[in-house]
Amino acid sequence: MHDARDAEDRRLLETGDQKTLLAGYFHPVRQRCLLRLRDPDAADEVTQAVFLRLIGELARGRTYSVPFRVVVWKITGWTVNEHWAGKPLTVPLPEGWDPAAPGDDYAEWAGNDDLATLLVGLPKRQREVCELRYLEGLDPDRIADALGMKRNAVDQALHNAHAKLKEALLGGG
Amino acid sequence: MAAEPVTVLFDEYLAAYARGERPEAAEYLRRAGAQADELAALLDGFLAAAPVPEPTPEAVELFEAWEQGQTPLLALRTARGVTRDRVVDAIVSALSLDPAKRGKVKHYVHELEAGLLEPRRVDRSVLAAIAEAVHAKVEDLFAWRPRPLAVGGVYLRAEAPVAPVMSAPAEPEEEDEIDRLFHSGR
Repeated sequence: MHDARDAEDRRLLETGDQKTLLAGYFHPVRQRCLLRLRDPDAADEVTQAVFLRLIGELARGRTYSVPFRVVVWKITGWTVNEHWAGKPLTVPLPEGWDPAAPGDDYAEWAGNDDLATLLVGLPKRQREVCELRYLEGLDPDRIADALGMKRNAVDQALHNAHAKLKEALLGGG
Repeated sequence: MAAEPVTVLFDEYLAAYARGERPEAAEYLRRAGAQADELAALLDGFLAAAPVPEPTPEAVELFEAWEQGQTPLLALRTARGVTRDRVVDAIVSALSLDPAKRGKVKHYVHELEAGLLEPRRVDRSVLAAIAEAVHAKVEDLFAWRPRPLAVGGVYLRAEAPVAPVMSAPAEPEEEDEIDRLFHSGR
């Protein structure tokens, strides 16, 4: 499911449209910083540092063997950890930093995280309900209409799917 | 207020995200009460796995403004053709402030636009009125801070955006409702 976005990121990188590339990441990066730090001011500060580092990376003309989103999430994780450690966030990333390095100490490997993959593991009916709910944003009544189900059955499918998604998201997949 | 079940909040957040509404996690964590840690871990995992949405034209505008050292508020207000006076009127009206204090409100709005006043010090109701006046979300307008400039690999804090200097009141005045709104924090 990441394929379309990864392709668009590659196109934006190749055409030099950095503002469109980075603007798309602002909300999710800020949200993840907030979820980890739980302090809106700290989250804003760290988000800003993440984007300064991303701009620095792009200014170097770096190319990556991993999708750009992996670079974003690695730098986000790195910067959050540095904030926790009380380190300055204004230091640019080291020249030789490799987002694909397996020994990277600062961030988790995010390359394989994919919501579609998580949903594929669900039973067919639950997957269909979840795709309409979490990929299309439909409300349960519309999902019931679309799939010819009763509203209660939609609620039950979502309830059952939640337990599995929870296990996958908290248990590392 | 009683905490809401994590499964309900998780479901709501994901559906809102899918609709491109850019939901604010802080609000969901608040609603989760003692279960906020569990919800935070779930949402963090979801965001790592979810496709990043296309940026709105507004998000691109705000990013561009920040990159150029402007405050997003100033950039968006001028791009939308909203005058500062209209923003001031919106604040005075929304908060039922004394119209005689309009000049003071305008002074503070100028400070916000020039990056001289930290949004975190400003009451949420004021930020909401400003955001409504320029047709934006509070978080979009005020999450960006004035951008430091990088020189020789070392980041320096940018000068405050150039703007006409407005003098502060000549005589120290007793703190009033306007001061409290712009200096109280959220």
